[in-house]
Amino acid sequence: MPASLPLVSLLLSPVLALLGLGLLIGAVLGFVARKFRLENDPVVEKINDLLPQTQCGQCGYPGCKPYAEAIAAGDAINKCPPGGERTIKQLADLLNIPALPLDENYGQPDIKKVAFIREAECIGCAKCIPACPVDAILGAPRFIHTVIESECTGCDLCIEPCPVDCIDLVPVETHAPPGRTVEELNNEEILACINCGLCVEQCPVDILPHELYRACRGKDYAKAESLKLMHCIECGKCDRVCPSSIPLVEYYQATMQAFNIQQNDRSQADKAKQRFELHQLRMEKIKNEEEQRRQKRAELAKKGPQSKTKDTILAALERVKSKRKPN
Amino acid sequence: MTDIILILVGAILVNNFVLTQFLGLCPFMGVSGKVETAIGMSAATLFVLTLASACSYLVFQYLLVPLGLEYLKTISFIVVIAAVVSMTEIIMHKTSPLLYRILGIFLPLITSNCAVLGVALLNINQSNTFSHSVFYGFGAGLGFSLVLILFSAMREKLTLCDIPEPFQGAAIAMITAGLMSLAFMGFSGMV
Repeated sequence: MPASLPLVSLLLSPVLALLGLGLLIGAVLGFVARKFRLENDPVVEKINDLLPQTQCGQCGYPGCKPYAEAIAAGDAINKCPPGGERTIKQLADLLNIPALPLDENYGQPDIKKVAFIREAECIGCAKCIPACPVDAILGAPRFIHTVIESECTGCDLCIEPCPVDCIDLVPVETHAPPGRTVEELNNEEILACINCGLCVEQCPVDILPHELYRACRGKDYAKAESLKLMHCIECGKCDRVCPSSIPLVEYYQATMQAFNIQQNDRSQADKAKQRFELHQLRMEKIKNEEEQRRQKRAELAKKGPQSKTKDTILAALERVKSKRKPN
Repeated sequence: MTDIILILVGAILVNNFVLTQFLGLCPFMGVSGKVETAIGMSAATLFVLTLASACSYLVFQYLLVPLGLEYLKTISFIVVIAAVVSMTEIIMHKTSPLLYRILGIFLPLITSNCAVLGVALLNINQSNTFSHSVFYGFGAGLGFSLVLILFSAMREKLTLCDIPEPFQGAAIAMITAGLMSLAFMGFSGMV
């Protein structure tokens, strides 16, 4: 083997050097991985905060939180019909992934509805009460039930358990906001903003109207808010000086309305989330109590009958004896 | 002290790795959509660049040179860089999970960011000392951060502008990057 010896010695040092380097790096990485282990993922909470909290299960998961967990694990973001395009856009922004159109297999986006119980037909069976994920149905067995309209998320989970089909989903009356929406304004032929700055000079509350206009046009609410959208007093001075005649104030009004609707939906969703959590706690408690009762009954049944019958037989014998004695 | 300042100015402005030497263009185009994301990416790349240039200097001087294995420098530098990037990834996953998710594939892709390997190899070619190597890496990272953040701020504004349809998206980004590069040519010959 003398001929192969130089080759071995030639290869030995580089192989050993890289091996040593690899081992060293592996040890360091192993240490870092152990030191920085992740316990629970806060991303799930952030995703959950964007979901509408209807708890309707149309996405195929039992509630919004499980779907948030699934998204964090890599599921598609377009399975939430109640949230619609807006939720998909927010999720896409949060996770920095492209927004997909809503997946129609999971349902169509619908106008907001709430459940309504036709009270004349309700038999008071109380079957719909545990079905409501946000405890929005009020009632007791053999009494008429009713839905608390402001708490109902319109998830339709109460319809199926009702034995007499007395629950309807009725559309909520929404008032279309006055004026044009941002989309309608965007569709208008508007001359471009040339950054002339005339509006900035005019603004009495020190907003940058042209910057704010861009944020409103792009529907970037966070940006619009940081550019002091809420400070606008709608005096219209910027409108009058704009050489491109952009309807600036109308843009601000439309954005404010859209922003308020979004905030409102958000607070509704937060409330629904709280109620859902309470509902789950309550269901858990009821289940536990029932379990305990069942166990107690089972224990009684195990030893009960014999001892009880024995007791009754003895008692009967006593009675008979005591009756016989006087004779 | 002067030499360190010169190295920093040279790496940040005059020989900016992205706009003058055209290294590391993948994250420059890929994660410049939003300013916050760009800041996160900049911080990660800055960390990796500084640490990787230090580590690769040490590996070269104290492992490869004594053994006469200088020809292994590219492969061992890639190993070192990959290790530093994995470490950054683990740390970022713990400290900022949302950013970790947003950066997604671009975080491990720092490994193949040619600016990182470029700095390590240039350090060897210019036979820099240890401290000079570290500052060169740090300066390269700062230069990368500077242009990435500037560029992302511009792109954020661009999304709200009326751009002719054929220029929307990547096309206008390329034009913007080209104009920025032209502007950085003004620094040439300064140091």
